[in-house]
Amino acid sequence: MATSGLDLAIISKRMEGVARKMQNTLLRTARSGVINTGRDFSCCVLTADCELVAAAESLPIHVMAGPDQMAESMKAFHPVLARGDAFLHNSPYHGCSHAADLSVLVPVMDDDGRHRFTVLAKAHQADIGNAIPTTYHAAARDVYEEGALIFAATRVQRDYRDNDDIIRMCEMRIRSPEQWRGDYLASLGSARVGERELIALAGEMGWDRLDAMVSDWFDYSERRMALAVGSLPAGTATGETRHDPFPGTPEDGIPIKAEIDVRPDEGRISIDLTNNVDCLPNGLNLSEACARTAAMVGTFNSLGLTVPTNAGSFRCLDVLLRENCVVGIPCHPTSCSVATQNVADRLTNAVHLAFANLADGYGMAEIGGVQTAAQAVISGHEEKRGGRPFVDQLILGDTLGAGSPRADGWLAMITTGTAGMSFFDSVEVDELRHPVLVTERRLVPDHEGTGTFRGAPASQVSFSAHGARLEVLYQSDGTVFPALGARGGGAGGPAENYVTRRDGVREKADGWATLTLDEGDGVTGISPGGGGYGPAMARDPRRVAHDVAEGYVSRNRARQVYGVVIDEDGVVDADATGVIRSESQVQARP
Amino acid sequence: MRFAVDTGGTFTDLVIEEGARLHLFKAPTTPSNPVDGVLDVLEVAARDLGQGCRELLEQGELFVHGTTTATNAVITGNTTRTAFLTTRGHPDVLVLREGGRIGLPLFDHGIAYPEPFVPRALTFEVPERVDATGKVIEALDEEALDTLFDQLAVAEVQSVAVCLLWSIVNPTHELRLEALLRERFPDLFISLSHRVNPSLREYRRASATAIDAALKPVMSAYLGELEERLRDAGYGGRLLVVTSQGMMKDAGDLASSPIHVVKSGPAMAPVAAKYIVENGYLGRNAIVADTGGTTYDVALVRDGVIPETRETWIGQPYLGHMTGFPSVDISSVGAGGGSIAGVDEAGLLHVGPQSAGAVPGPACFGAGGRKPTVTDAAVVLGFVDPAYFLGGRMHLNPDLARDALMRDVAGPLGMTVEEGAEAVMALLTETMAGAIEDITVNQGIDPRDAVLIGGGGAAGLNSIAIARRLGCSTVLFPDSGAAISAAGGLLCPLSDDAAEFNLVRSGSFDLELANATLARLRERCDIFAQRLGDSSLAQVNYSVEARYAQQIWEIKVPLRQGYLESDLDVALLMEDFHRLHHEIFAYDDRDGEVEFVNWRARVSADMRKQPLATIQQGEARVSADTTRMGFLEGAWQPVPVIGFGNVAKGEECQGPAFVETDVTTLVIDSQASFHKDPQGNLVVAVATAGREAM
Repeated sequence: MATSGLDLAIISKRMEGVARKMQNTLLRTARSGVINTGRDFSCCVLTADCELVAAAESLPIHVMAGPDQMAESMKAFHPVLARGDAFLHNSPYHGCSHAADLSVLVPVMDDDGRHRFTVLAKAHQADIGNAIPTTYHAAARDVYEEGALIFAATRVQRDYRDNDDIIRMCEMRIRSPEQWRGDYLASLGSARVGERELIALAGEMGWDRLDAMVSDWFDYSERRMALAVGSLPAGTATGETRHDPFPGTPEDGIPIKAEIDVRPDEGRISIDLTNNVDCLPNGLNLSEACARTAAMVGTFNSLGLTVPTNAGSFRCLDVLLRENCVVGIPCHPTSCSVATQNVADRLTNAVHLAFANLADGYGMAEIGGVQTAAQAVISGHEEKRGGRPFVDQLILGDTLGAGSPRADGWLAMITTGTAGMSFFDSVEVDELRHPVLVTERRLVPDHEGTGTFRGAPASQVSFSAHGARLEVLYQSDGTVFPALGARGGGAGGPAENYVTRRDGVREKADGWATLTLDEGDGVTGISPGGGGYGPAMARDPRRVAHDVAEGYVSRNRARQVYGVVIDEDGVVDADATGVIRSESQVQARP
Repeated sequence: MRFAVDTGGTFTDLVIEEGARLHLFKAPTTPSNPVDGVLDVLEVAARDLGQGCRELLEQGELFVHGTTTATNAVITGNTTRTAFLTTRGHPDVLVLREGGRIGLPLFDHGIAYPEPFVPRALTFEVPERVDATGKVIEALDEEALDTLFDQLAVAEVQSVAVCLLWSIVNPTHELRLEALLRERFPDLFISLSHRVNPSLREYRRASATAIDAALKPVMSAYLGELEERLRDAGYGGRLLVVTSQGMMKDAGDLASSPIHVVKSGPAMAPVAAKYIVENGYLGRNAIVADTGGTTYDVALVRDGVIPETRETWIGQPYLGHMTGFPSVDISSVGAGGGSIAGVDEAGLLHVGPQSAGAVPGPACFGAGGRKPTVTDAAVVLGFVDPAYFLGGRMHLNPDLARDALMRDVAGPLGMTVEEGAEAVMALLTETMAGAIEDITVNQGIDPRDAVLIGGGGAAGLNSIAIARRLGCSTVLFPDSGAAISAAGGLLCPLSDDAAEFNLVRSGSFDLELANATLARLRERCDIFAQRLGDSSLAQVNYSVEARYAQQIWEIKVPLRQGYLESDLDVALLMEDFHRLHHEIFAYDDRDGEVEFVNWRARVSADMRKQPLATIQQGEARVSADTTRMGFLEGAWQPVPVIGFGNVAKGEECQGPAFVETDVTTLVIDSQASFHKDPQGNLVVAVATAGREAM
């Protein structure tokens, strides 16, 4: 081993530091709420060979797989790279997650003009020029109907100067061009910070030594991963779930299946996704990047792995994909507009269930599906401000967290692929920025998936048009197929969406909907509850009593589902509880 | 005579300023009742100065206190039973928080979601609603409040926090609620959000208000007892407490608004740093680090100002509670003298965040600790004299240090024990440098343009190495050393703050609204100035938190004066905003619209007329100058040992050297030279690699 245990620690900290500086720059300077509140952006460092080195606190769905392919396409399309270059990339056919995740790639060149690293800053745009004002066009039959501008590693800067033709193309096509330009500047600034930092690091350590240290860091990460896999039970297992029926899907929704094969003696895990349906004529298809990543996220979640996530540890995972598969490799012009969520979430969850089926103490329940009206994309024209157009995604709710073998569901998961790293909007900030009035944001009792460790309770969010007519778009999975429990845990409550007209008439809205709200009209999104892990009858009665005291679970449900009798003062009746539970023949776990 | 007491986690530090002399004292902190520790350290001082405690205290004119009592009360849950009243429809503000899960192990789903600061069971929805313009959409339903108040009576709370949506624009409903609550519950402690933290974002405002309400009885009791016992002991001067912003306020005022003291303790070191760089002509930027046993706290001075943040956490970020209240920006990392070192199964070296703490402590303490720590590495390398630890109060066992390092670090890495110890120090340096990079990036400072100030007990071991890693050419070890925070307490100005939310857009700048807002802030500052007696002592600084339209996060822009006379002043303000944005984020957008959001004024009065006193020469009780073998730059060599007090002012000395103080060794390698400045600080010139041309 060429690199000492000390140098390994130092190189990992320095590389993570580069990615973190890029992130701080982007977070603080981006314009659209989806980036800076939703934290829907990522930054990473790749080797010259396009292997992922460091991604600091990026969203897993953005970076675990995909940036490697993006960098490869940059090299393939631009064999001659130079310092000062920057590339726009959002092509899901060339490694990007989906079209909305517009990325800036900067090749980091040494003084001799040799390509040494690539830095990548990816940010989910508030708009990407789709045919309808949302970045998640679930109904688009193909990329043409989707309408997004697609950049497959397009050179946007040379000698550190913009190609204004490309900037103008974006400004002519993307809604809220001023906001877009601000977000572009933030992404570019972030990538340039990464470039500057790597050049400085090489000045200190030398390029060749950096390469050697990174290579040894990969080997270390692989050893850690192999050791972790080595401690798992051997075997194969399958996890299956289903995405709700949407336009362009089969009538009974999209079945998703993950087949895992854990081989601890070899230190390898394979996840076979090839036995799934073909690509669909809608925007729910996964990009290759998202198919690969969603399976990886499911694996890391299932094992609670704290090993470094980079090209080294990923060597222990084989994700088997096939072309023209809804969770595989899409072929142009298949639309992947919604690839970072919905089906991706279900895929991650199928992997959770597969690991839970492998052995007790592994895997997780299902995290609730996205995205109810509480996370709608809203658009319109602000009358008070000269008819100025606006478009933005709200992130007001959706709790979703799933029970695990060791804890209740995280209450602010927001989406599966972001691992809970996104932020909720402030009601006041949304009301200041947009013509909306948020009338309600609360948790709903008795909607959790029951379990030894229960899922997160559901959130209920209502908002109405306040000062302008609103277009509201969302695609809410989980209204038909709720989040499943694992190992005897219960399913969470289903998602629900409603429209309440100004006259007070309330109607159930579709899971996939485009709504127009006139002044005073409102929508409500009730998120799915997260699935539970393990039998509810085995839940610690003190936890049940706490849930009752806090209003997450009713006394009635505590008795009927959890078998815990709680008196009016909130005290557990141990004797009565013992009787019910012994009849159910499940032993309580502490 | 002035006193400053900093109650820290382990020690209570006292600094006494008597004319031109500064005296430092230490006593153990007494967690069960920190007031005991304050009185103890005063006893220690009295004994040392050969006086009675009463005699000492009777000479006092000013007593400044920095305290962690408020933070500890929140962390341990020892606050009062508090109810949370909020706008109907929004009961889960404190439960949902702002989401986020940054810095926690990403895929570890064994981590439980944090409980809200006020339980849902004690949360009540108030029928009312105001919109963003301040218009009442739904009037406060006073009839419905009767039922709500009945429930509140049953809940038996001592405190109530009220945070209604948009109370910052129209506080009528909060004020009415307060009046009705007072009528029904005369003894209740009440905090209103538009007073506690008048800023946008309901979670941050609610959280600050809830913490404030829950702390009121605790802090009134604590500060009341402190004042009473000091008075009983003979103190007749003014009692002031340091705020989270490095200012100070009268203890009585803070008892009724304790949110101000949540970060009292860590706010003092940067105040000292600011003073040191200003008086030492060391530029406008400083990084001040406080190295303790378990954590490394970093704060800044940027262009002569101590940067603030509203993202202030009590406890671990995303698992603790955010105050949302402006405080000195501090970046912390789990690294210090007690950090444990080890090598994992795949061959990677780790140092911290686990710490051996005071018990059992490092292996060399011989108190049962078997794991090697940073202190053990320092002993192995000869940095610390085992016979003279803590001024000789504790003897260390170097064999235990070597054994532990060999077993857990050097052996697994295939190194000699010295190489292993150097590796531990190098990784510690990298971790600490990372903490500095985090905060300097966020605040837009290039560490190469800043002086690094090493405070705290373990700062001397690797501050030079940290500076070299970051390209800082100057390191300063303050005269007050480990007691830098307490010394900072003597330098805090007396102050008060006023703030108001009002959205003003650059595209259609409402000069009248901005000036009316500023005028109201000025009125509140005038009250403070009048209370001073001599209002000419008061200095008012205005600022506004602003952002580009559509950005979420604001930056605080100082205003040139307290009113905007014309479009020219507005243009200057815009220019200042663009420039500051560029300074912090490396770009600006001169065509972009700017939104001005929170308008703020701070009135302050400097309580000092003369420079801070210095510790007198010879006071450091260090053994006679000698040499000691030290492992520096890869080899054992004889290293001159010099007592901190014995370094002559003005004389330029060349490393290597071990400069020893009562509590630590300042390790100075051969590539550095040092001198004492006129204020008694040790200033080290570090040879760094030249700046990269970009």
